[in-house]
Amino acid sequence: MGSEEAPDDLSRKALEYSAYYAGKIETVPKVPVRSLDDFSVWYTPGVAAVSRKIEKEADLSFEYTNRWNTIAVLTDGSRVLGLGNIGPEASLPVMEGKALIYKYLGGVDAIPIPIRASGEDDLIRTAEALEPALGGINLEDIASPKCFGVLERLRESMKIPVWHDDQQGTAGVILAALYSALELTGRHLNQSKIVLFGSGAANIAAARLLIQAGASAGETILVDSKGVLHSEREDIDQLFLKNRWKYDMALATNSSRVKGTLRDALKDADVLIAAATPGPDVVKSEDISVMKANPVAFLLSNPVPEMWPQDAMKAGAAIVATGRSDFPNQVNNSVLFPAVFRGALDVRARTISDTMVIAAAQELAKFSKEKGLSETNIIPNMLDWNVFPAVAATIGEQAQREGLARKAGSRSELLEKAQSTMERSRRVLSLLMEKGIIRAPPEDSAAGK
Amino acid sequence: MEELEIREAGSEDVEQAAELIVRMKRLNGEFDPLFKVVDDAQQRAVEYLSASMGGGDRFVLVAARGKKVFGVLRAEVKDRLFYIPSKEGDITDFYILPEVRRKDVGREIVDRASQKLKAMGAEIIVAEFPAQNAIAVRFYSKRGFRAVVDIFAKEEKEEGQ
Repeated sequence: MGSEEAPDDLSRKALEYSAYYAGKIETVPKVPVRSLDDFSVWYTPGVAAVSRKIEKEADLSFEYTNRWNTIAVLTDGSRVLGLGNIGPEASLPVMEGKALIYKYLGGVDAIPIPIRASGEDDLIRTAEALEPALGGINLEDIASPKCFGVLERLRESMKIPVWHDDQQGTAGVILAALYSALELTGRHLNQSKIVLFGSGAANIAAARLLIQAGASAGETILVDSKGVLHSEREDIDQLFLKNRWKYDMALATNSSRVKGTLRDALKDADVLIAAATPGPDVVKSEDISVMKANPVAFLLSNPVPEMWPQDAMKAGAAIVATGRSDFPNQVNNSVLFPAVFRGALDVRARTISDTMVIAAAQELAKFSKEKGLSETNIIPNMLDWNVFPAVAATIGEQAQREGLARKAGSRSELLEKAQSTMERSRRVLSLLMEKGIIRAPPEDSAAGK
Repeated sequence: MEELEIREAGSEDVEQAAELIVRMKRLNGEFDPLFKVVDDAQQRAVEYLSASMGGGDRFVLVAARGKKVFGVLRAEVKDRLFYIPSKEGDITDFYILPEVRRKDVGREIVDRASQKLKAMGAEIIVAEFPAQNAIAVRFYSKRGFRAVVDIFAKEEKEEGQ
């Protein structure tokens, strides 16, 4: 999400509105209640028949309840936005925001669940205990490397999809934007030298997904605050003990054993993906200029990219993307996660595999291409409404292809289902606003808007 | 690619082998603060290995491809004054670089060292490593070793420290 407004003004509004509305989401019934007699159907005694049926076949909970469309936004608040380890209570506004986006863009009922957890095992036990109520789990804002272990173990143990947006979502949109950027600059994924600057959850996941999508592992290089990652780096045994995922990348990538700094890694590179630390001047013009001609530079830190896009272009970058909405090519998870879960829920997928994410990235890239690829249009934005059902349908199709779906549907059926669920969600919100049930924000009301 | 060769370390291997020894000592430091490594560890490792390479009751093996050393093992034979068997072969230091791990190099170098220690009169083989090193525990357990001695440590600090 982005805005042209000054950060101070946005902070003031966020505080004022949050207090005014006392939260961003609430539960609204979806069945008619014509009189209190209806409760005999919706609740006791009638509901017992439904429970007995589900008791015999647990999966019927997806048919007879809202489980089919319900996910948890689960966090321990250990790494929230740029705020760090602020704890579960303070993470609640962020989780509510995520739930709002899920509902508005994906028609998904997402419940914010920040928990007091002492570690990986606590998070895992909680997620597993919640499974009977849910169609899926979105892990959110969990510190790295803990997030890798949590996702990995839950993907193994659970029969509903578990998604960590900071890993899979970010990796998916990076891949989508990269497909377009490579096409525009006449490159191929499997022949490109790709440098990822920053080795947190986003870039480790991106490197893994890019390699799975066909990028050469040997020609992929990760760089972190200690320099280029390679299998003989001094801290390699520490990584082995404390961050197995980064350790694995150190062994799998950088076959030419480049050592040193970001600039050493960028020599003759085709692509830079920076998700390191807010800039500017974290990446310098001299770094871009040692890359191949017309390189691709994704500078994704927020609120300030590692280098201003205009400076990257001046230094020779042909395509530049950032995480911000006020520059062209915003690489933003929001174009992916609502649609991914919509698609996964509609086919009742058991998991969201990496190949499903790759298919979604290809769909995003295809959408941009059909819209007209250019150096300022490499990835759809949130106003491209049609991209959401298209990605949802792709996810559903791919899940079926991989035998991960418990419900079948043709592309057109999935498209229609996603479209109608998403539109319904937005229509309900519009109606509530039109009827004044959701009031206008305080300052608009005061101005008589 | 050229095969890894396990051989006795020569003087040309000492610098690289010493680096690996220092890596291993630093890895030990991850398990317990009492294994904090000294600043001049590299120099000491060079001296330590050099002093172990002249034959007698100790030796150093390396796993190498050409001139590049990927693994090192130092071992010695010790008397057991009060026990039978009376000689033990002690693997005091053992490290291999991550890129050749899980490729059986560890097993090969330990087997070679065991044979050599046996030939030098050792009737049991022992290996030393930090108690918290679960990876080493797994490695040796898989090869039939079992825990025999616990070493308990306690720091004695001056009052007021």
